[in-house]
Amino acid sequence: MLRGKVSGMKEVIKLEHGGGGRLMRELLEEVIVSAYRRNRVEGGIGLPEMDDGATIPLNGHNIVFTTDAYTVRPLFFRGGDIGSLAICGTVNDLAVMGATPLALATSIIVEEGFPIQVLRRVVESMNRALEEVGAPMVAGDTKVVERGKLDELVINAAGLGIADRVITDAGLKPGDQIILTGTIGNHQLSLLSSREGLQFEAPLESDVAPLWGMIREALIVGGITAMKDPTRGGLAASLNDLARKSKVDILLREEEIPLKGVVRSAAEMLGLDPLELANEGMAIIGVEEGRAQGVLEVVKRSRYGGDAAIVGEVLEGKGRVILETYVGGRRIVREPLGSPMPRIC
Amino acid sequence: MRRKAVISVSGLVQGIGFRPFVYRLAVSRGLKGYVKNRGDAGVVIDVRGEEGAIRDLLRDLEEKKIPLAIYTKIDVNWVDFSDEYSDFIIDNSDMGKREVKHSLIPPDISICHDCLQELFDPNDRHYLYPFTCCALCGPRFTTITDLPYDRERTTMIDFPLCRDCSREFYHPLDRRFNAQTICCPQGGPKMTLYHPGGSVVDDENPIMDAVRLLEEGYTVAVKGIGGIHLAIKTTEDDPILRLRERRRKPSKPFAIMSPSLEEVERYAAVSEVERGLLTSYAKPIVALRKLEPFPLSGLISPGLHTVGVMLPYSGIHSLLFHYTEEPALVMTSANFPEEPMYITNKVAFERLMGVADYLLLHNRKIYARCDDSVIRVTDGHPIFLRRSRGYVPMPVALPFSSDLRVIAVGPELTSTASILKDDKCYLTQHLGDIEGPESLQFLREAINHIMKLLRVSKPDAVACDLHPGFLSRDVALELFEEFGAELVEVQHHHAHLASLMAEAGIALAEEIVAIDCDGYGYGSDGAPWGGEILVGGYESFRRVGHLEPQLMPGGDLSAIRYGRMLQGVLYGEIPQDELREFLAENCLKGFSMGEREIEIVFNQIERRINTPMTTSAGRLLDAVSCLLGISYTRTYEGEGAMKLEAAAASGADIRVDLPVDVEKRGGILILKTSQMVGSLLELRSSYDRGGLAHSFQKALADGFLEMALRAAEERGLETVGFTGGVAYNEMMTSIIRRGVEGKGLKFLRHKLVPCGDGGISLGQAAVASFKAL
Repeated sequence: MLRGKVSGMKEVIKLEHGGGGRLMRELLEEVIVSAYRRNRVEGGIGLPEMDDGATIPLNGHNIVFTTDAYTVRPLFFRGGDIGSLAICGTVNDLAVMGATPLALATSIIVEEGFPIQVLRRVVESMNRALEEVGAPMVAGDTKVVERGKLDELVINAAGLGIADRVITDAGLKPGDQIILTGTIGNHQLSLLSSREGLQFEAPLESDVAPLWGMIREALIVGGITAMKDPTRGGLAASLNDLARKSKVDILLREEEIPLKGVVRSAAEMLGLDPLELANEGMAIIGVEEGRAQGVLEVVKRSRYGGDAAIVGEVLEGKGRVILETYVGGRRIVREPLGSPMPRIC
Repeated sequence: MRRKAVISVSGLVQGIGFRPFVYRLAVSRGLKGYVKNRGDAGVVIDVRGEEGAIRDLLRDLEEKKIPLAIYTKIDVNWVDFSDEYSDFIIDNSDMGKREVKHSLIPPDISICHDCLQELFDPNDRHYLYPFTCCALCGPRFTTITDLPYDRERTTMIDFPLCRDCSREFYHPLDRRFNAQTICCPQGGPKMTLYHPGGSVVDDENPIMDAVRLLEEGYTVAVKGIGGIHLAIKTTEDDPILRLRERRRKPSKPFAIMSPSLEEVERYAAVSEVERGLLTSYAKPIVALRKLEPFPLSGLISPGLHTVGVMLPYSGIHSLLFHYTEEPALVMTSANFPEEPMYITNKVAFERLMGVADYLLLHNRKIYARCDDSVIRVTDGHPIFLRRSRGYVPMPVALPFSSDLRVIAVGPELTSTASILKDDKCYLTQHLGDIEGPESLQFLREAINHIMKLLRVSKPDAVACDLHPGFLSRDVALELFEEFGAELVEVQHHHAHLASLMAEAGIALAEEIVAIDCDGYGYGSDGAPWGGEILVGGYESFRRVGHLEPQLMPGGDLSAIRYGRMLQGVLYGEIPQDELREFLAENCLKGFSMGEREIEIVFNQIERRINTPMTTSAGRLLDAVSCLLGISYTRTYEGEGAMKLEAAAASGADIRVDLPVDVEKRGGILILKTSQMVGSLLELRSSYDRGGLAHSFQKALADGFLEMALRAAEERGLETVGFTGGVAYNEMMTSIIRRGVEGKGLKFLRHKLVPCGDGGISLGQAAVASFKAL
């Protein structure tokens, strides 16, 4: 890869570096991941894999460990809040590694002057999500910073899980089917609509949800070769990640992708690509062909998987995602850059 | 005195009947020795005999040069006479794989006069045989798989010579002597007419049957020289409408083919320059001004004042018209826009199901895909819209020689790639839009093919656009990793400027002022550029002026729905209520979701959600096209600007002066465009829209001219060029050219490569050859 693209002396962090796209990946590869000489536990998955979590082999078991920080505006939005987001995001990262969530820890950094009543609501929401998953919050830390040094509230969460069989991003094989467990784009557009007061024809609701219950059932059916939750950068970023790490192509059929009409038209009016919109309650599941229907059935029966569909398949290739469009054309789905950028000349 | 001379000829000398030409010159003078192809596409002549006769031969090589030959270098090495040859012979090819120094591979050449005569001579064995060709004509680039150019390294390897062809091939005085692609009905390729499923309709007289079907209004896929077209009749609307629906091209202009110039002149005006282009051996599509009334279907090029026309360029096409009285047939490439041209029968059967009613195909492979070239005469000069069949792989001669081998991968849309070697740059055929897996692969194959033909095994530098998201960049990274070559990113408009300089032969140290206008290029600051005044040379550039930045609500969506762009341009220029009302009443077709979308766009602008600021001239012309009710949405590249130009060309002759204000902000010249559009809005109801379109184009050209002249004056520069897709605009080109020349400065325009993005790779390569070290 091109070295020194993001780490030059004059470069500063831009918003795009946090957009979940290629600029972010390059920043991580060049500045963060490469900084640590010790970056994995012997025999486990570590930083360089940039998977959803790390694994720590221990006495024949796989401990899965993950952490994530949450900043979101507004703190409360239709369908969720920063608290449910923190718990679901962490649990989902464990779940898509194939791990049962064992315990979580959080750090809360809060601005001077923040209403305690609101903090209480956030923590209660975290508790509700944990109840659903059945995992305890076992440690935490709280810091207060001067007014104006932080915008309201930031939450960091870490999660510990245990997996019989670890599911990575790199396990796709040609012939595997790709299942998507829900409709795309709801979370990001819901936030945008709450934050900016945009009125679409119907209210948009975030999909934030803990997926462990659904994934546990899917793992029991078996045949799962890879999983990922398409958060920032959306389906486009996650599928590109899976294809690149698994060294395969993914053929995606546009007409099969679950997408609500309101999300489609809202994205279209803003010039946003639904494939690049963030989701918080959805997983991409790669399954061996023979087990795909079985997995799909249990996913569809689960609380958050009613809209699930087989959206594509895995082909031999060099790590590309190819979209077969409604009208029969084929175009390449690019890894998002981090913010939309014109291309048409 | 008897002597021996070893003559090395480099240039375009293989595959065009050059060795027989030399043979005839030598034999007629009683000289002995041989002529043979070198493995590098050059020819070596070893000739012994009287010195005077050898000197005569050398003179005639120049004076009697055959039409297609181009000499880049002739070396003569005189040595002592020796007598090993009793005859003059044409030796078999030298298979040495040395690097090509100066030699060229021929482009595809349209069927020649002699072959046409035979085609329609009932006594000739090539009578009505669609693949007939000779040493002077026929397919070349599309068939050549490697060098040296001999039959076994062409797609004709599948068709061994029959006895008659063989006799002609080995007879030094025959027109087909040593012609590698000759064939005849005995064992040569043949046409077959198929149903969509692949079952045979007719292989006895397939072309005649296809023509009957065309006359009845059916869509027939026709495999030709460089790919597969869809053909349909042009005298009725319904068949064309059907084709447009099936191919998802609601209004993109279709090229048409007519049997003769006389026929063309019944529906289009043909100037002397255009006549020369239409009948040249390259047989490009030429954009001609339609006659009024236009006797063919208006759906061929709806909303445009021009129609793209070509003449038959192979026996296949000549025979189509032999069997019919149709004045013209649509001949549009059969592929979807994001795909490269189809070249195999298998893909044609797969992809044209439901599109073509019948398929007229042949069994000769097409090795290198090659679209038809497209040329438009602007301000009296031919300019390429697409440089491909008939021109590729002929190089552009550079004003410098580089030690580095550079591969330039081009931009993303209507792209070409380039390979720079020594003092030449070789552009690939038209690659189209690099958006799908097939076109991405085509980009890589086209590069590999030219590398092989040039014997470039390893590039030193790879150039790509500065845009971080272009797919062509992935190919650049691949090459970069594969060869360890240096990667050089070249800003889009800098590449336009360098392309203009390179083809004009401007020397290294010089700088020019470039009016650099198109729809979009990723700017050095990451912003969308497209209406720029640049000062610079190969190595570097400075942005000294540009159009006033305009809101682009929804990013690329504004490039598709012109109403959004217009809303961005007029936002803040007139009161919001007025703007809302105007758009809702007049421009709803420029939005896809009605008045609600207009509200969302206001919101989007206020909160700057996905709303970059662009200095693009193309986007501005789109917005104006929408304001004047000429064009509302983009269904093909350049549609808004092209239709605006068409309206201006046929509009009433009114002269309204729009305000052309250039101001300097922070040392940079800025043309204030919102007030130009604002004034146009006020005048809209009082004047003819064509006249207003005319006035706006004039004001915009005047504004660019003023900025460019000021930039030239301030820096004491003497050359001003016009490049980018907007430079196809005839009126703007003519205003700018006259203004520049009126100041005693030199005006530069593109002549050898497209001014649009098809010319970018040349500029990328030129810049990279300086930047990479």
